[in-house]
Amino acid sequence: MIRFDSLSEARPDSIDKVTGRAVYATDLDIPGMLHGHVVRSTAVHARIRALDVGAARAAPGVVDVLCGADVASLGCWGLVLKDRPILALDKVRYVGEPIAVVIADSAEAAENAAELVEVDYAALPRVPDSKAALAPGAALVHESHSPLEDFYFRGGARPIDGTNVFHRFLSEVGDVAAAEAAAAHVHEDHFSFPPVFHYALEPHTAIADFREDGLTIWSGAQSPAGVQKVVSRLFGLPLAKVRIVVPYVGGGFGGKASVKIEPLVAAASWKVRRPVRIAQSLSDSMLTCRRLGARITIRTAVDREGLILAKSADIVLDGGAYADTGSAVATKAANRIIGPYVIPNLRLEARAVYTNTVPGAAFRSIGGPQAVWAAECHMDNVAAAIGLSPVEFRLRNLAARGQRIRPDLRPLDMDMGELMGLVRQAMGAASAATGPDARGLALAASDPGIVAIGNALVRLKIDGSVLVAMASVEIGQGVHATMARIAAETLNQPFGSVTVLPTDTGTAPFDWGTGASRSTVIVGASVEAAALDAATQMLDLAAEALAQDRTALALVPGGIATPQGFRSFHEVFHLAYGVDSGEVIGRGALNPRSRGGALREAPLFWETAAGMAEIDVDEDTGAIRLRRYASAADVGRVINRVSAEGQDEGASVQGLGHTLFEALEFEDGQPVNASPVDYNIPTLDDVPDDFHTILVEHHDGPGPGGAKGMGEGAILPIAPAIANALFARYGVRVNDLPLTPEKVWRALRARS
Amino acid sequence: MLPAPFQLARPTELAEAIRLAAATEDSHFHAGGTELLMAMKLRLLRPELLVDLKRIAGLDRIAWAEDASVVIGALATHRQVEQDVIVRRHLPALAALCANVANVRVRSAGTLGGNLCFAEPHADPPTLLAALGARLRLVGPDGEREVAADAFILGEFETAREPAEIMTHITVPVPRGPVAYRRFRHGERPAVNAAVAWTMAADGVTIERARIVVGALGSRPQDVGLLERLLAGRRAGEAAEAVAQGLTDAVGEIEAMDDRHGGADYKRHLAGVLITRNIAEAAAQINGATP
Repeated sequence: MIRFDSLSEARPDSIDKVTGRAVYATDLDIPGMLHGHVVRSTAVHARIRALDVGAARAAPGVVDVLCGADVASLGCWGLVLKDRPILALDKVRYVGEPIAVVIADSAEAAENAAELVEVDYAALPRVPDSKAALAPGAALVHESHSPLEDFYFRGGARPIDGTNVFHRFLSEVGDVAAAEAAAAHVHEDHFSFPPVFHYALEPHTAIADFREDGLTIWSGAQSPAGVQKVVSRLFGLPLAKVRIVVPYVGGGFGGKASVKIEPLVAAASWKVRRPVRIAQSLSDSMLTCRRLGARITIRTAVDREGLILAKSADIVLDGGAYADTGSAVATKAANRIIGPYVIPNLRLEARAVYTNTVPGAAFRSIGGPQAVWAAECHMDNVAAAIGLSPVEFRLRNLAARGQRIRPDLRPLDMDMGELMGLVRQAMGAASAATGPDARGLALAASDPGIVAIGNALVRLKIDGSVLVAMASVEIGQGVHATMARIAAETLNQPFGSVTVLPTDTGTAPFDWGTGASRSTVIVGASVEAAALDAATQMLDLAAEALAQDRTALALVPGGIATPQGFRSFHEVFHLAYGVDSGEVIGRGALNPRSRGGALREAPLFWETAAGMAEIDVDEDTGAIRLRRYASAADVGRVINRVSAEGQDEGASVQGLGHTLFEALEFEDGQPVNASPVDYNIPTLDDVPDDFHTILVEHHDGPGPGGAKGMGEGAILPIAPAIANALFARYGVRVNDLPLTPEKVWRALRARS
Repeated sequence: MLPAPFQLARPTELAEAIRLAAATEDSHFHAGGTELLMAMKLRLLRPELLVDLKRIAGLDRIAWAEDASVVIGALATHRQVEQDVIVRRHLPALAALCANVANVRVRSAGTLGGNLCFAEPHADPPTLLAALGARLRLVGPDGEREVAADAFILGEFETAREPAEIMTHITVPVPRGPVAYRRFRHGERPAVNAAVAWTMAADGVTIERARIVVGALGSRPQDVGLLERLLAGRRAGEAAEAVAQGLTDAVGEIEAMDDRHGGADYKRHLAGVLITRNIAEAAAQINGATP
C-alpha cells in the first residue's frame, strides 16, 4: 500500500492523467488544421501499375491527395539504411504500406474518400518469412542497399549485396570448433519467437505544420531528435528550423522510437501548406511496426563438470519490409544471447532479413526477449542432458561481478548470483497445490544505455522555483518526475518547486532519445550536473553579494543559509543586481568524453533480470496459469519506488503477453490478426496474485546517486522461466512462442 | 476507423421500427452495438439505415411469467441479466454466463437479443439458451412468431430472423434439474463452450431428459444427441460413467472448424472436457440436493 502524505510528492503527470487533463497529440487542434487518412497497400509484394486518386480528390471535403509521385524527388529515408520512401512509388513491399494520403477538412471526409482511391497491382513473388528470405533465388524485397554509417547509432548496417540480408553481425571469441571437439557433451536446440505488436494504447498520431519559416511536428515520438534529423534531411531544412513537440505519450515500448509516421505527415503538410493531422487507429498501428520475429539455433559444449566450454548461436531476425533499426536489434540479440555466464569460446551470428511483412522495430530490450527465450530454455535443456539441476548448472557457470562475458563488453557491474538467490528466496516453499516441480528460472544480462550524449538546462528562479529543460519523453514511465526529483535533491529545493518543461526541441537541448533504459542515467546525470552548475553559480553570486566565504554558504529551500541566518534568493539577486530580478541557468552535459572517457565503454551499465515462475497447467486443456512470479533487478538506486516497481512489473506482464498470448500472424505475407479484436494481450486477470518485484540497490551505477537504467530487464526472463517450469513439471519443451493451450496440449499428448 | 455514412432512426414504437426497416433495402437494427458498430467501423457492414431500438419502451424488461418461465426483453444488457434478481434466482447459470461475457463495458452495452441476432459463432449465450429450451419471440411486418433457440441460429452470422423482424423477448422455462455451462477461451471470445441441462423425474435422481449442447467450435450450436440419448432415464449417479463411455463417439460427430481458436481435433477434445466437467457439476448438484 503506497501512501502519499501530500500530493506534492505524487508524479505531476499522474494527476493530469487521472483527472483527464493530460494532453496527447490527438487532443491538439492547430488553427487551420486538416486531417489526413492513409491509403494502405492491400498487396503483399507488387508493382503499382496505376494509381487513380481522381475520384478521391473530387470527393466532398477533400483538399488534396498526396501520392508517391509528389514526394519521389525527396528520396528515401532511414536510420541505418536509406531504404524507405515517404510513400510507395513504383512498388509496395507489405500489406499496410502507405501509398497515398487523402487530406480533407475532417477525418470522416478523408476516410470516406480514401475508399475511392484505385490501385492496380501486378503481383511480385513474395518473401513471406525469414526462411523464404534466405532461400536460394529468393525474390528481393529491396534490389540494392544504401547503408548509413554512424547516422543514428554508432556503426551501421552491414547488408549483403544481392540478398535480403540487410545486416549481418558476427562475433567470434576463441575457437568454438576445437572446444566442441574436446567437450564431454554438445547440445543443440532450435527456438522461434514470433513478431509481436507493442500495443501502446495510444496509436501513432502526429500533426505537422509546414510553413515558410520552418516545420513544427507534434508527435508522440520517443526520439524527437531522430525525427528532427530525418525530416531536416528529407526536406532540406536546417535543424534549428525543425521543431518537434512531444505532448504526453500513451505508451511507446520502442514502437514510437526512431522515426515512424512523421515524414509522411510532414509531407502531407508540405503539399497543402496547412497543418495536417494523421491519427492512426490501433489497427493502423499494427500495420506500422512490430517486434522482429526470430529463428534461433543455439549450441553449447560443456565439460564433465558441467562448465560451459563454448556457445554458438545462429540468429535470423525477420525485419519486415524496411530496416528501421533492425540491424541494432540483430546485433543486440547476439550480445544478449550470451547470458551472465563465463564462456571462453563464442560464435555469435545474427542476420536481419527483409520480408514482405510489417516493418520490424525496436521493442523493449531490442533483440533481448528473442535471445533470452532461446538461451535460457536451452540452459535448462543442457542441465537436464548432463544431469544437473537448473540452479546448480547456472551457479557453476555464472560470471562474477567484475568479470567480462565477452572481451569487448564492459565487465559485469552486478552479482547475478545475488539476484538468483533473491527470486528463489521470494518464492519460498512451493505451494501445496502445484508442488515444487512446476517452477522455472531464467536469468538475463543485457547491454543497454546506448549513445551516451545527454544535455540539460536547469534554471533557478528568484523565488526558488526551478525549471528543467531536457528532452526525455514522458511516456508513462515517470521520467519527468524523476528529473524533477534529481533537480530538487541537487538544489535542496522542495520537489513541488520544480517544473519540468514539456518536451520540445525548441527549448530542450539535444538528447538522443527515450529508450534503451538510458534516460535516468544519461539525461538524469545531465540534469544533476546542470543543477550542480546552477547551485555553484547561485552560491558564487551569494558569496559575492553577501561578502561571505563561499564555503560558509549552503542552499536551503527558498534561499541560502549563511552564518548570519537565512537569505532568500530574492535578497541575493536584489543585492547582486540592484533589482529584485534575474535567474541562474545551469548547464549539464554528458558525452563519451565526460568523466575521463569512463562512459565510452559499452554497455554503460548492465541491465539485469532474474525471474522465477510457478505455474498451474490444466492438463486437459493445456492452459497455463502463472500462479506465482518473482522478478529481481539490480538498478543501482531507486529514485521513485512506485514508478520503478511499476516499470519492472509492467515489463514482466508485457513479457507474459508474448509468453502465453501474443503473435502478430501472417499467412503468406497477409496479416491475419492485425486488429485489437483478434490480437490478445494479458489483462489484470492473468497477473498472478503472488508477484514479487525486488529492486537491488548498491548505489554503484553511473547515474545520479549510483542509479542504473531499468524498465527493460524484467521482460526478458518470464517466457523461458514459464517454459522451464513446464519442462520441469512435465518434461515437455515447446520451442516456439506463445505457449498457447493448444500447443501445450499437443506437447503433453505427444509425450504420453 | 469511422463507419461509412449512414442514416439513423430512433423510433419509440415497435411498429414504426418494423415499418422503417421494411421500407429500406439495407437497414440494420441497432441494439447495444458492441458487434454491429465494430463491423461498421471496420467497414465490413455499410447499412444505409440504422434503426435504433433503444428508445422503444419495455424491450429491456425482465419478468416472471405464469407458466414458470423467465421472460427477458431482447434489449436487456448482459449486465442487466447478470444482476437481475429473477434471473439470479431461477437461471443462475445464465446470470453467471452474462457476468463473464467479454468485459464490463461490453456487458453494459451489449444485449442478449443483439448477441443472438448477430450470430457470431464464438458467443456464449446461444449454447446455454439452446440447452435451456429458450423460445425467441420475433415480431415483423407479417405478424409474430416464436422460434426455438436451438433452431434460430442457422450458421455463421446467419439466423432464422427476417430482415425486418425484431426479436422482442426471450422466454426461458425454469429448468427442472441441474444446469451447467462452461467455456474455454484463450483470448476474449470462447473457442468452445458446452451447456448441460437435465430435466429430473419426480424421484429427483433419475434424469428424465438431458440436453447437451456445444457451441463456438462450429458454425452454430449443436446438440450432442448421442449423449442425450445415453443419459435419458439414467440415474444422476451413473451419468459420468455413461458419458465417459460414449464421449469419444459423441465428440467425433461434432462439426468443428480449424481456425484461429484452434484445430478441429483440439476443439472436439475440449468439447469433451467441458461436457465431462459439466456432467460432474450437474451430478454434484443432485448429490448436494439429495439428503
